[in-house]
Formats: sequence, C-alpha cells, structure tokens
Amino acid sequence: MSAAAAPRLSPVALMLVILGAAIMAAPLLWTLLLSFKPNADLMRDSGTAFSAPYTLENYAAILQGSSLVRWLVNSLIVSLGTTIGVLILASLAGYGFARLDFPFRRTLFVFVLLGLAVPEQAVILPRHQLFAWLGLHNSYPGLILPGLVGPFGVFFMTQYFRAIPKELDEAAMLDGASRLTIFWKVLLPLTWPAQATLGVFTFLGSWNDYWWPLISATRSDRFTLTIGLASSQMNYAQTSGLGFLMAQAVFASVPILIVYVVFQKQIVRAMAGTAAR
Amino acid sequence: MADARARRLAGIAFVAPFLTLYVVILVCPLLMGIGISLHRADLFGARTFVGFDNYARLLVDPVFHQAIGNTLLLTLMIVPALTAITLGLALALNRGTVAAAWLRGLFFSSSVLSVTIVTLIWRFILTPDAGLVAEILEASGRAPIPFLSDPDLTIPALAITTIWWSIGLPMMLFLAGLQQIPQDIYEAAALDKAGAWTRFRRITLPSLRRTLILVVMLQTAAQLQLFGQAQLLTAGGPSGASRPMVLFIYEVAFVRWELGYASAAAEILFMLVLAATLLQYWAVRPREDQ
Amino acid sequence: MPSLELNDVGKAYGAVPVLDGVSLAMEGREFVAFLGPSGSGKSTLLRIIAGLETADRGEVWLEGRRIDMLPPGERGVAMVFQHYALYPHMTVFENMAFGLRNAGVLREEIAARVGEAARVLEIESQLEKKPGQLSGGQRQRVAIGRAIVKQPRLFLLDEPLSNLDAALRMRTRVELAQLRQRVDAAVIMVTHDQAEAMTLADRIVVMADRRIQQVGTPMDIYARPANSFVARFVGSPAMTLAPVTLLDGEGAHARVRLADGAEIQTRVPRGSLDPGAAHDIGLRPEHVHVVATDAATLTAKADLVERLGDRTFVYARLGGDLPITAEDAGDSRVRIGDTIGLRIDGAAAHLFAANGTAHHAEAAG
Repeated sequence: MSAAAAPRLSPVALMLVILGAAIMAAPLLWTLLLSFKPNADLMRDSGTAFSAPYTLENYAAILQGSSLVRWLVNSLIVSLGTTIGVLILASLAGYGFARLDFPFRRTLFVFVLLGLAVPEQAVILPRHQLFAWLGLHNSYPGLILPGLVGPFGVFFMTQYFRAIPKELDEAAMLDGASRLTIFWKVLLPLTWPAQATLGVFTFLGSWNDYWWPLISATRSDRFTLTIGLASSQMNYAQTSGLGFLMAQAVFASVPILIVYVVFQKQIVRAMAGTAAR
Repeated sequence: MADARARRLAGIAFVAPFLTLYVVILVCPLLMGIGISLHRADLFGARTFVGFDNYARLLVDPVFHQAIGNTLLLTLMIVPALTAITLGLALALNRGTVAAAWLRGLFFSSSVLSVTIVTLIWRFILTPDAGLVAEILEASGRAPIPFLSDPDLTIPALAITTIWWSIGLPMMLFLAGLQQIPQDIYEAAALDKAGAWTRFRRITLPSLRRTLILVVMLQTAAQLQLFGQAQLLTAGGPSGASRPMVLFIYEVAFVRWELGYASAAAEILFMLVLAATLLQYWAVRPREDQ
Repeated sequence: MPSLELNDVGKAYGAVPVLDGVSLAMEGREFVAFLGPSGSGKSTLLRIIAGLETADRGEVWLEGRRIDMLPPGERGVAMVFQHYALYPHMTVFENMAFGLRNAGVLREEIAARVGEAARVLEIESQLEKKPGQLSGGQRQRVAIGRAIVKQPRLFLLDEPLSNLDAALRMRTRVELAQLRQRVDAAVIMVTHDQAEAMTLADRIVVMADRRIQQVGTPMDIYARPANSFVARFVGSPAMTLAPVTLLDGEGAHARVRLADGAEIQTRVPRGSLDPGAAHDIGLRPEHVHVVATDAATLTAKADLVERLGDRTFVYARLGGDLPITAEDAGDSRVRIGDTIGLRIDGAAAHLFAANGTAHHAEAAG
C-alpha cells in the first residue's frame, strides 16, 4: 500500500476499528480455544474453555482415523485438479483469443463472456441430471469438471496475453519459432504472475465450494472437506463432542490459511482484477 | 492458401478444449434447465410436459413467497451494512503502517474460510447452550438469547454471520479503488483549505463511484444466492422463517424430488441475479456528462 | 548480385490502401533508408519484407530467391525492432541463441556465434543478465546482436534510434555505421528522422502517400528533390516554397516574379517549363541571405530568430504574408520584428510545377 499520506485516525474511528478487529478475531480465538479443551469439560459447561486443563487429544483423534484425513486428500485432489485444469484451458484459450485468427473469433469470445452473467443456480440442477446420465457423480472428474467451465479464467488470461507486446511474437517469428514454440517458450513464461493469481483464486474457490459437492458427492468416501465437515456438523450429537468438532474446523482451515498467507499478494491482485471486470 | 487454412485451424485448436467443456457443462445445462422447468420431472428421469404450470404454482406458493421475502430481507440487511462497514474500514486502513497491514490481513482472513467452517464457528458463538455470546451474557447475569431458534432472530443471525464472512472482498475492492485516486487531488484540496469531510464528500466518494456500484451489485448478486449459511446454521427454520430461495430450490429438488418445480424457481432466481448484474453494467456505463 | 528486389508490391487494409505498387532494387551490401512521415507506408513495406504482413500483390525477391511466400523465419532476414522486443524472461545469451536453436544450429556453433557477436558489441559481461537489468543502450546492442548471430542476408532496422536519448542516439548512430562495415549483408532502416537517413544510408527511399517519391543518394535527394514533397520533407529548416509567375524573355533560363514584385533570375532551363502555368519557387535557407536593406533583392519582416552559434536562421514574412527562411551569420543582429533585406541566390533556386514536379538549376558553366 503506497498511500501513506492518510491523516491520523480520530479517537472514535480508532475505537471502532479496534472494536471491529475484536469482533473479527473473537470467533477465531474462541474456536481455537475450544479445540484444545477436553470434550467432557465442554459437555458440562463451555465456559470452562477459559480455564485449564487444555489438551491436544482432539487433534490426536483427528489423525487417528477420523474421516477428516480422507476428506482432506479428496479436497486436495479436487482443488489441485481444478486449478491445473483451469490454468491449462484458460492459457490455451486466452492465447487463442488474444493472438490467433480463426472464424468467429470475436463472436465466440463474446459468447464465452456472456457466461460470466450465469449464476450457478441456473445450471446446477440440469447439470446434476447430466452428470447422473454420464455416471460422473461420486467421482473426482465429476467434482472437478464443473470448476473448469467458468469464463473468468479465459477472460483474465486473454486480457493478460493481449497486454504482452505483439513485437515479441514477431521477433520470435523472425527467429523461426513455430506457433507452438511462441506460445510455450516466449509468451507462456511471461504469464507467470497471471497464472499465480488465477491459480490461487481458482484453488480457493474450489476448496471452499459447497453447493456442487453437496449434491454430487453423496458417498462419505468422496466427500470434500467442506461437505464432510458439514455432515459432521449436522450430526453433531454423534461426534465425540464440541472440542473435537472445533479441532476439525481448525484442522480444515489450516491448509487454506497457509495458501492465504503465502499468496496474499496474488489474492489481493485477483480481487482488484474482479474490480477491473 | 493452404498455409492460411492451417493457421486458422490452429487457432481453433487452442480454444476448442475450453469451448467444448463450456458448451457441454455450462451452455447445455442452461438450456436444459429452461426445458426441465416446463416439465413435471423427478430426479430419476420421469418427465411430463406441463407448460408454465410450475411457474403458475410458484406464483401462489406461500412457501416460495416466504423464501423470496427472506432472500430480499437478508439482502437488504446485509448489503448496505456490509458496504458501509467495508468502506469505513478501507478508509481507516488505507495507510502504510504495519498495524494497518495486519488489520487488513485479519479482516480479510475470514473470506478464505469455507461456509462450513464459518457456520461451525458461528454456531458455537450464537447457540444458547454453549455459545460465546451466551457465556458472556451468563457471566453478566443475563439469560442467553436463542438466536438460532427464535423466528425473529434467525435472519439477523444469518446476516451477522454473512457480514463477518464477507467483509474481505469489498474492503479490498475499496482499498484498490482508493489507491487509484491520485494523491495530488488531495494536496490541491488541502491548499484550497478543504476539510476532511469535504474531501471525503467531494473527492473520495465521487472517485469511488465505480467501486461502490461494483461492491453493491456483487454483494447483491451474492446474497440473492445465499445458501450454505442458512442450510447449516438454521436449516431454514424455524418453520421456514429463515429459508432463502436457494435453500427452497435445494429442498424441492433433493428432498421433495420435484426437479421441474425446483428448476422453475431456479430460473426465477436467475432472472433476479441477471437483473442485478445488468443494473450494474447500466450504472457504470460511460456517461456523456462526465 | 542484386540484394532485395520489390516488384509492384501493393497492400490495402480492407478498403484503405496502404501501399500502391512499390518497386525497388537494392545492391548487395547496400544500406538503404526508408524515410517518410508516419502513415507513408514505410513500416508496412518493412513488415512485408520481413513476412510479418502479407502483400496483396507483387513479389519480394532476396538474392535471387523469391521470399514473399516463405514464413518470416525462413527468409534470411533479421530485424531489430523499435522497442527491441527482447524476450524478458531469457538471459541475453538465450535471447541471441533462441533463433539459432529454432534453426537447429549445433550447440558449439551457437556458443561461438553468440560469443563473437557479444565481443564485437562489447556486451560479453552481460550475457547472463536479463534484459530488465540492462540500460537502454545495452538492450539496443542485444537486439542488434540477436540479428547478427543469424547471419542474415538482409538486416531490417525499424526506427532503431527513436527510443534513445539524444546523447546515446549520436553514439548508436556511429555504431550502426560501424555495424554495416562489419556485416556482409544489405541493410534497410526505417526512419522518420532525415538526419539519421542522411548520415547512415547509401541511398534514401523517400516515401509518402503510400508511394515511393524518390530514390537516390542523400546528396541527390537534398540537391535535386524529385518533387515539392521531397523538397519540403528533406532539409532542416525546410525549403521555402513561394508562388511565382514566369516572365517572358529571351534567355535560356527562366526569370520569375514573386507576389511582391521582386524578380529573380534562375538557372532553370526555360524550355522545360509550361509558360502559362503557375509555379512555386523553392529556396533552401542557405540560398537566402540577410543583407542590408539597400543592397537587397527584397525586404521582409523577421518573425523568429533561431541562433545556432555558427549561423542564424531567420524566419521571416515577405509582403503578402509569405513565409521565407533565410540564413545569416552566427553573430547576426537581427531581432524579431526587424525589417530585413534579403539577397536571393537565384542560380540555386528550384521551380516546381503545380503537380509538384521539380525543375532544377543547370550546373554552372
């Protein structure tokens, strides 16, 4: 952030910001606190969270054979699969739309952009039917494929390719490079920042997706973390208790928080990117 | 020239993989959805054409009316509050200090959590038997509040949870918008002895017009589609008091198995979201008087 | 062997013509500059030669081989782009080696050629750097090096100096002159800067309005411009053009009268001119001298005085508001607003017919 010249905050504003920060942080800290409490104590009174004893037994229980590890692996497979797929498809299509000449190029591009206005609700029920016919429910492809057709990635990569000077393509043509070589060795390496941004954005979206996996993955061994946690939340009475549940929440948040911390810059840039849309 | 034809085919080859999936998994379902909404259909493939019957039924279905009402109420509670809060935060945190950077990180952190985790956290903030709020009230000698079961409180509870969850994106959008305002305008205004309020009213707010519209419309589109929070936190209850449209669609399709009826409701929701999106394009279109 | 030959090359973008049948023949190892204002078609012509655009008609030959159907990489041409177009993610070495790799040149050969080019261009110590770490002048050298290593039969330089600051531009101009001594190939440079064209090129191709206006050596173009466009475009300050009427007379050379009545005796053969038609006289500043008013052919009012130290240019107005540019000594006392006397060196004047065609003075003696 460059605009350091902002005036000092008034005391009232400062108080409000601190209050806001407390409201933001309290639920997170409360969750963390509960996750370190023995379930029996919490069963009696969750107020015991503010005093010892604390324990790691909830985390140990997760690692010793709860389904959570399985769901985590599923989430990783689906999210990474979606991310890689989006990057490949969007890069190819973005290069095609930005640089190549073929019939109906502009029309097709507009056709793709119109998809930005289609909310998930308009397609999710028929898509569920379609995937049922294709026998894709409760499979990794079934969870990954819907994530690949969002037009945003294509739009984003097309804009990025367009911003690369055409002189580079021309220099490469004079250097005897084929179209594929130009794409692969000259332009694609230059889109790394865009790939990172789009990749993180896609990964986050896929990791947190709820609606589609909820209706597509109905077998518990195909649950993603999101759906798995939802099911144990619904069946709260049958779990080993509040502390265990909260440990699950923390455990499930850790991967995504790591991604967030590592790729903060890309995420913020992607946000600004939606603004430019 | 054969060479030119080969080049054109190469162009198509680059966009074909995406376009194929796009047509099969997005465009086809979009059209199928319209078709299904005109049928009495269940999840297992039985189909009877009924024309606009499903839409006619929706028009007089009190449960659907309640869901639309809930959705609009939630949108009205969330969008203005979220916009005001995030604009304020962006103004307060648009500075180069370390503390501001940490606070931006904190306010954004909830946005990366999934709806499942957010509702799990908030359930045990709000629930009257073990929640944090109940503990605090208890410590000060007051009775816990049944946020998740009192029909008057479930929608506010959903709104608060949603605001907590969604604060990051609009704040970042406002910060990005603020960054684009040239500093020399403020310097010129300071030379003209403009006060803080005048600078905000006359420079900041007009400069953020595009961002403001974007935030309102993105949030409106998002909240019209609010789903997971309601399903997980209140299950739409008690007796539908907090059931939004998407939950209605989900329940009709996957609990009552009336796919045609659910599809018709989905098309109506689609129209609402589309209207919000088009309104945004209309609002930010270049004006001649500017 | 002749180098590049263009036969009736034409192109249009849709209904908008950009080149109207251009023909040209270059000698081997010749340095030719395409000089013209923007929109004249010179860049399009360069891109057609490179293969970055296809001509609608006409042929392009290079050293006896027709190249207009070949892809850019197989034409035996190399190009230095206006903004260099270095690959930002590759090191200097990789930038220069990329074309050779695509052509399947052996690894040792690549290393040898790149090493040699780097030595000549004095960028040996930069080979492992990325273009972003280099100064503008160094990038320019890498761009030249990338062209040299391909050992092309023809170099194409697109506005090679326009991105450099004034000091670097002078130095690079010298380097380009040295480059052409070293390489065994023809060179085409596109420029809108006449000083560049005049100092570097063996021949200049002046282009305007989608056509070649004149092809000739720099001195040819300056001393015997083919038409009024070339006359005005080449030379700085520009040649003065003023309408005149031809006077009847007996001599072999035309005598003309300016609008304010002053008469000038030229050395343009009377026989070549159409006596009834309107003409313009063309006078370079060095042929219009500032003199005392009583010794003057005509008088004018000084609008602007440009002191260059060794000489002074005076932009003045004749009666009837006709602008004229004159030269004076470095220590000129003329000030803006002064009425000055001008002596015109009529023997050096050019005459232009209404369609622009030039008629030049006969050499004395």
